Amino acid sequence: MFKFLAQTFVNGINVGALYGLAAVGLSLIFGVMRILNVAHGEFLMIGGYIGFWLFTLYGLDPFMGLPLVAIFLFLFGAVFYKVVFARVARFHEELKLKNSLLIGFGLYLIFPQIAMVLWTSDERAISPVYSGKAFGILGLRFGYVPLGGILVALIVIIALQLFLTKTYFGKSLRGTAENWKAAKLSGIDIDRTFMITFGLGISLAGLAGVLIGLIQELTPVMGIPWTLKALVVVVLAGMGSIGGAFIAGLILGIVEAVSAIFMGPYTIAIGMLIFLIILMVRPQGLFGRT
Amino acid sequence: MLEVSNIDVYHGDLKALWNISFQLNEGEVVALIGSNGAGKSTLLETIAGLLIPAAGSVVFDGIRLDRKPSQRIVQLGVSLVPEDKGIFPYMSVLENLELGAFNKRGRRLKDETLKLVYGLFPILKDRGSQPAGTLSGGEQQMLAVGKGLLSRPKLLMLDEPSMGLAPLVIRNIFEAIYQINRIGVSILLVEQNVRIALSIANRAYIIENGRIVHHGDSKNLLTDEKVRHAYLGTLSI
Repeated sequence: MFKFLAQTFVNGINVGALYGLAAVGLSLIFGVMRILNVAHGEFLMIGGYIGFWLFTLYGLDPFMGLPLVAIFLFLFGAVFYKVVFARVARFHEELKLKNSLLIGFGLYLIFPQIAMVLWTSDERAISPVYSGKAFGILGLRFGYVPLGGILVALIVIIALQLFLTKTYFGKSLRGTAENWKAAKLSGIDIDRTFMITFGLGISLAGLAGVLIGLIQELTPVMGIPWTLKALVVVVLAGMGSIGGAFIAGLILGIVEAVSAIFMGPYTIAIGMLIFLIILMVRPQGLFGRT
Repeated sequence: MLEVSNIDVYHGDLKALWNISFQLNEGEVVALIGSNGAGKSTLLETIAGLLIPAAGSVVFDGIRLDRKPSQRIVQLGVSLVPEDKGIFPYMSVLENLELGAFNKRGRRLKDETLKLVYGLFPILKDRGSQPAGTLSGGEQQMLAVGKGLLSRPKLLMLDEPSMGLAPLVIRNIFEAIYQINRIGVSILLVEQNVRIALSIANRAYIIENGRIVHHGDSKNLLTDEKVRHAYLGTLSI
């Protein structure tokens, strides 16, 4: 029984790291821009398919292909910001949130259709030769692919944290998140900051997409469940808390995995339950500021 | 150095400034005084590029500022310390100062300016790693002025630096403003505390309901009957 629980725990961490990675991108965009990107999961789906293409068409190892996916999605996000969100981002807070939500829902309707044309609605998977291989320690099974996923997620989160706390540009992102007017008066180009933030957030979603494609199937409609998961994690962590979002992702992953033992298919309700309880009891989230 | 000509500014449909013109010469301290809601902050925000005038022009060192994005205006050497202090409450005092130096010139001269600011406000050095939001009101105002200085402005605009502060702290801050002016930074000061504003300013403009109604040398304004009556609270019998 103990071994079974421990194995479930390990599996939960695998999925939780991906929840965290997906949520961090959403949290970053919301924290800096006050735009809730409800099409976050759609960008994640596109990242997954790009990884799938790189692997199947060019034989590129999915982990080696991650930097390419990150760069491509960053540029895609930055251009997308310029074309679609730049005007909205100039509106005042309430109008900005409302309009960006509507745009996000629009994208959520459009992107899966485009994905169906490009990749059909068949389930796709990124399956290199080592997928499914594992090694054992103390009788627990550690798959290479999930372990790689956790490692990548950790490296990305630590790199992001260092970028935000140690570099001049990263600090300007945090400043913009705290007080955009003060940021403007400090000589920070808000429009450029927003563009790069959006690119970064989308890039993180894309990375999560590839890692997900390694352990689950990719489909054109996979986006919205991931948006919801990311949203639950962000609410759990508190809007705008980057490190917190990752830890909250791990928590959700573990809680879901363990509760699946008792609840089976009803596990999906657990996330929503946490979401509701946190909103009622601690609306600023576990790591948020009051 | 700064030439504001005939500007009209709206807040939505509401006209806030009517045909405002004034100038500031290099090295001067100029005060804008007037009661609450007269449009003083609106005027500073317009110069800083946060608001766009519907008519008229703002020229600084021969360059049009109106319609330029605010980061360009900072780069050109005009810095605004806003009424709400414009600090980042969850970031450390040092990070706030660093972000003040975000533009190219500020970044190049950062270490030198930091020394200068620590000389004016030694407390900021001691509090370097503390989140700015945990500072006292006076210390936050010192940080705000210091942050404004880190952009290495030629013109520093200060919006109500005395607001909500104890008299001793106000004196401390105005002493620093005087020192900043002494090293060659021109100052445009918005104040409701008319006595202290006139004590430091060379000249002052009086704004009422979005219009400039009076201006002159500080010395003359201090003895002006109308000004004394309206703003200094002294009854003229």
